[in-house]
Amino acid sequence: MHYLLPFFKWSDSMWMGETIRGSRLYFPIIETFHLLALTLLFGAILMLNLRLCGLFMKNLPIQQVTRDLAPWTIWSLVVILASGYMLFTSEAMKCYASVPFQVKMLFLFTAIAFHFTVYRKVTRSDREPKRVWGVTLAVISVLLWLGVGLGGRGIGFL
Amino acid sequence: MQEVPAVIQWMQNSDFGTGIRESVWTFPVVETTHVLALAISVGVLIWFDLRLLGWGMKHQPISQIHKQIMPYAMFGFIIMFITGVLLFWSEAEKCYLSGFFRAKVLFLFLAGFNAIIFEFKTKKTIEEWDKYPIPPAKARIAGWLSILSWAAVIIAGRATAYNLF
Repeated sequence: MHYLLPFFKWSDSMWMGETIRGSRLYFPIIETFHLLALTLLFGAILMLNLRLCGLFMKNLPIQQVTRDLAPWTIWSLVVILASGYMLFTSEAMKCYASVPFQVKMLFLFTAIAFHFTVYRKVTRSDREPKRVWGVTLAVISVLLWLGVGLGGRGIGFL
Repeated sequence: MQEVPAVIQWMQNSDFGTGIRESVWTFPVVETTHVLALAISVGVLIWFDLRLLGWGMKHQPISQIHKQIMPYAMFGFIIMFITGVLLFWSEAEKCYLSGFFRAKVLFLFLAGFNAIIFEFKTKKTIEEWDKYPIPPAKARIAGWLSILSWAAVIIAGRATAYNLF
């Protein structure tokens, strides 16, 4: 990851990181927003995945369920990414050395890429996917987002 | 130092509590399970609350969403409750003395009380407003109370771990 080192150093030396490090309260407060938005996103993705498995709101087309959840999903993702980057600037060098952080980022970028490509194509389609295909996508999605969560929790513990 | 009741001291010093507290893996695993279960439970519950406010899934009757969400919310809640008891057991004195933890318990009761009123009183007339995009005030209040009290539970819970005050 050494080619990313300048980015970590730059983030670490930003005024934002300095400010957050300088207070006992900023970090917990920002992290709380991170957590609340995360709960919302995780809930939405869980319900969409249950729908893909045919275990939730079977009487509504997938497209409709997706549309209903979409604005909240996008906004919670925006809050998560923004607050996440703020937390990151306050301890970028710790993150650089942290294996859980690397794992988390790997899962995060894969999850986002997956969510807005293959996954999106099926959840935005006006046709019901084949059961096997729906369940497969749901399982991949859950595993990817679970990886993000576990990696994130690991940063604090390891 | 404030006086700690005997039962709290006993929990704190029991082999069981000490074992979890001083373990390398048990505490993180229990804690992570607690947070994941929370994301499942509150994560889906909040969507029901948003429906009560008329802010999402307006095309679905409220009773339908309620029926489909509750099993997952309850499943998550049971796991959250069990792991929560284990976490409390392992840090009983710290939790007992923490203002944030006390606030958390208070908000948990508020959330529970609100849910009971909704289940046994407000829901009785649900057939009249089941399909409304925006349900009547009593249902919206229940939605707001649920969102706010659960958010407060999460905030206070996170703050307990930070040991701020």
